[in-house]
Amino acid sequence: MTDMVDKQVHSAADRDDPRLKDRSRSRAYLALLVVAVVLALLPLGMSDRVETIAVRTLIFAIMAVAWNLMSGYGGLFSFGHAAFFGIGAYTDAYLVVDHSVSPWIAMIVGALLAAAAGGAIAFLCLRYRLAGAYFALATFAFAMMFLLVVQNLEILHKTEGFNLPILPTYSWKMMQFAQGSRNYYWIPLGILVVALAGTIAFVGSRAGQYAQAIRDDEVAAASLGINALRYRLVTVALSCGLTAVAGAYYTQYYFFVGPDQGFGSGVSIEAMIPAVIGGIGTVWGPVIGALVVGPLAEGITSILRNPPQVLSFLQGLTGLDVAVYAVLLIVIVLFMPKGIYGTLRDRWRK
Amino acid sequence: MKPRPPSIKKVSGVVAVVLASATLAACSSSGSSDSKSGSGGSGKAILIGSVHPLTGALAGAGGLMNDGAKMAVADINKAGGIKALGGAKLKLDAGDSQGSAETGQSEGQRLIQDGAVALVGTYQSDVTQNVAAVSERSHVPMVIDVAVDDQILQQGYKYTFRIQPNATEMGTSGADSLAAMGQANGSPVKSVAYIHIEGSFGQSVFDAFKKEAQKKGINVLKEITYPATNFTDATTQVKEAASVKPDVIVDTGYFPDSLLVAKSVQALKPNIKALYGIANGAFDDNSFPATAGTAGTDVLSANYHYAATSSKVVDIRKRFQQQFHKSMETASVLSYQAVDVIAQALEDGKSSDPTKLRDAIAKVSVSNPLLAFDGPITFDPTGQNKNATVIVMQVQGGNVEQVFPTKFKTAKLVFPVPNK
Amino acid sequence: MTLSTSQASADPPAAETRAFSLADARLPIAVTGAVVLAIVLVYTVGGRDPGLVTQSIVTGLLLGGVYALVSVGLTLIFGVLGIVNFAQGSMLTLAMFLVYVMGHSFGIPVYVATVVAIPIMFGFGWLVQLLLLNKLTISGNENGPLLITLGLSLLIVNVLLMVFGGRPLSVPGTVDGSFTVLGALVSYERLIAFGGALLVALLLTLALRKTSLGLAIRAVSSNSQGAALVGVNVGRIYALTFAIGSACVAVAGGLVAPFISLTPSVGEQFTILAFVIVVLGGLGSVVGATVGGLVIGLVQTVGALYLPGTGSLILVFAVFVLVLFFRPQGMFGAKQ
Repeated sequence: MTDMVDKQVHSAADRDDPRLKDRSRSRAYLALLVVAVVLALLPLGMSDRVETIAVRTLIFAIMAVAWNLMSGYGGLFSFGHAAFFGIGAYTDAYLVVDHSVSPWIAMIVGALLAAAAGGAIAFLCLRYRLAGAYFALATFAFAMMFLLVVQNLEILHKTEGFNLPILPTYSWKMMQFAQGSRNYYWIPLGILVVALAGTIAFVGSRAGQYAQAIRDDEVAAASLGINALRYRLVTVALSCGLTAVAGAYYTQYYFFVGPDQGFGSGVSIEAMIPAVIGGIGTVWGPVIGALVVGPLAEGITSILRNPPQVLSFLQGLTGLDVAVYAVLLIVIVLFMPKGIYGTLRDRWRK
Repeated sequence: MKPRPPSIKKVSGVVAVVLASATLAACSSSGSSDSKSGSGGSGKAILIGSVHPLTGALAGAGGLMNDGAKMAVADINKAGGIKALGGAKLKLDAGDSQGSAETGQSEGQRLIQDGAVALVGTYQSDVTQNVAAVSERSHVPMVIDVAVDDQILQQGYKYTFRIQPNATEMGTSGADSLAAMGQANGSPVKSVAYIHIEGSFGQSVFDAFKKEAQKKGINVLKEITYPATNFTDATTQVKEAASVKPDVIVDTGYFPDSLLVAKSVQALKPNIKALYGIANGAFDDNSFPATAGTAGTDVLSANYHYAATSSKVVDIRKRFQQQFHKSMETASVLSYQAVDVIAQALEDGKSSDPTKLRDAIAKVSVSNPLLAFDGPITFDPTGQNKNATVIVMQVQGGNVEQVFPTKFKTAKLVFPVPNK
Repeated sequence: MTLSTSQASADPPAAETRAFSLADARLPIAVTGAVVLAIVLVYTVGGRDPGLVTQSIVTGLLLGGVYALVSVGLTLIFGVLGIVNFAQGSMLTLAMFLVYVMGHSFGIPVYVATVVAIPIMFGFGWLVQLLLLNKLTISGNENGPLLITLGLSLLIVNVLLMVFGGRPLSVPGTVDGSFTVLGALVSYERLIAFGGALLVALLLTLALRKTSLGLAIRAVSSNSQGAALVGVNVGRIYALTFAIGSACVAVAGGLVAPFISLTPSVGEQFTILAFVIVVLGGLGSVVGATVGGLVIGLVQTVGALYLPGTGSLILVFAVFVLVLFFRPQGMFGAKQ
């Protein structure tokens, strides 16, 4: 992803000046706080149906933030994040349905498993010096293998998937609330805010700085004595773990997960596209991308349902929403290679 | 390479963008939902929500089903609406699952939010699981038109009903029909080889078939599975089936793969009494005879099917053809039927309150169903239609004819099938 | 690609750039030997009906021909331009619908329509590369083109859905029927597709080796900056390469249309397998893609005798990952 991210190199003095780093970081935290508060208050004026779109958008955003850690900051272009999303979703389903474990614990177990699996896959890929398109294809192949294996495993219900039982009582412990409860919005929002705070902290931390240095020039970084493999694996593990958390929440919110919902290649694409549209290698890009992509299909479909006079010929036409989405993706990659946020940020700087 | 430290101005810029897009999203969506619930609530129209795959790989079937539901609503309204509720009109709100479970679920929630008193859907088993969970938690009844997995009604849900037979019933009665046809035509079936698609649908139909077949003295000599993806040639599978010299080759699968099986059977010419589909997505589809050509001739298919012998069905299908310029397939008739069941329950219960509607559906008895069933549509405690059953069709003279049992027949059964 | 430009200039990645030395040929011979050995083993100690094994081998080879047709186009695009073309499968679908429309609306027989579709798809590919991809490809961006082709793929599928709907359509064949070889059934249509694959592979190989355009393509493939310095118009070569790649898909679409049900998403299943085949065969190697296609076809059908259903696909992906790890240049790729 080196070409699509900000290539500007800070001088060593700039990077090492602790005051400057602290100030920039505290500003980012401040921005996060403001955004979090505003987003947390949004549901007060939100209808149930907007909430379903908002929750889906938040899940997209978490996935995109996670993907961005590995592919944006780490420079390892993953085309198989479905593998880790699926691990999270299935770990949650398996532990909650078959062993009545609390989803909160299942979420953490899933994150650990996904971090381990992601670390192992990345280790193998890096050990055998796969990069660029080859790395992307390898991650894709692993996600496909996971999908096929799950479809053949009796213990994971093969192609049938898991149904979460509807419990007689609502509780935080089992993460189950009345349909349309605002908790279903606030939980993923909380996860997203933590993930963003984590991203800001990571980007400013030694590990994050090293990861970016390795992304930009591995040889130079290694010559400075940075253990490239170690910092890359840390980045990958964080990314995969967070993706699994999104997967676990998916199962909790939708009450059902099957092989395609967990491991389908569409999931990998869903993790990637909001980050690309918003801006790879930036803190805010993935969130902004998700805010565009999440409501997009819904918006187009509702226009098509009751089209204005001019567009009446479009009524009942199927496929238009995805076509618009595709055009948007192409246009952004062509004309705003740094994504919406990245491009706007550059404009402001000038 | 870290992002430049954002200045206060930039931070506020970011916040502004985030806020603007968030509110925009909220406004645009809530705006349209407001207008809709307004129009739904202002008149006396009773809203029924449907969820089908209108985009994606299954859009063809989903579109037909949506049209079937639309036509049912129009017919009921033309006949005076719901009389027990003062002639209240029905209104269909069509949801698009895009073939994905989470979209199906959010569409289900949207429809309920918009005031739907009942849901109809969804064609795919995984999407149905999700929408059923929504309707259960929102206490809004859902009538499944098409979705085959047994598992859907095994969750103990109170608000989910299914008109079509499930996978197990289809496998079981598929075996019964096969045995009965052999007996009736003096050519008993002693053995079969079974080809089916991988996954829970194919597997549960097969398991049920095998269990029942053994009781009827039919020996399942071989089970052959093929993958749901990357399947473009069935020659090896059919050859493998033929290698055990069965009386009949049975096939369960979707349209493209079953078409390949039929073509391979024609090419290999195994010495069998018939090619017999159970819950097969191709063999009784009205486009199959033309698509398959001679490979389709005399192919048998045990499936739920619209009652071609009913004059009401003939009329509906004719008008459907005129209105939508497409052949009304069984799935589409089922969507029509599902809306019809809801309408009758609205009459019976004299209420459009979803909970009362649910109780009315649980007690409903719809006589003269549009499907070739054993009796009226009426649901058991799990929500499964008690009288759902399969009949046998056969491709004859370029058409799909009903051939067994005799009370539904539109043409005479040819069995065993003469070698082509 | 894995190779940066400086490495690439030292070590040409495209196999066609030089004649095979004996050392280069060792692995292809080993692979062929292993395949033959595996087949012999299946016959002798496999415990399956020999007639069935013959049939699965014949089916596998014919299926492999189809895979090869889709893959030779992709191996050029991937090998020369370094583009992970996710639209390869949907371009195949597009070609199939082109053939369908010509047959359905104008009554043009399918094989004639295929010939007509070739220049159309050539032009389509040329435009796509020129308008959408060239800027990114020339600047050396690796993942931008992947995302563009992903978007293009979604766009093609959904536009076809808007125009034709999702019901399966069929293209009537002109040479229905089949014959038997050693007890195995061979359908004429599939045999024609197989022959078409071999023909396309042969023509492409010749074109790459003997024509000046082929020379330019190979030059750009091994070192685009160097090629530009000696006066090759790199952008034009890129556009032509992508165009040739999509013309191959036009042949594939026309030849498989008679025996596959057409839906807007039918081609997508070929994309992933095509990548497996291209990597297996070696980037940019037409011969490799052809052999790779045949091998994957065989693994899928013969493997299905033992691992029914998706089992054989797991095997395919496992092989893919192993090849990526241990021999990223593929069977026919030049040794680094």
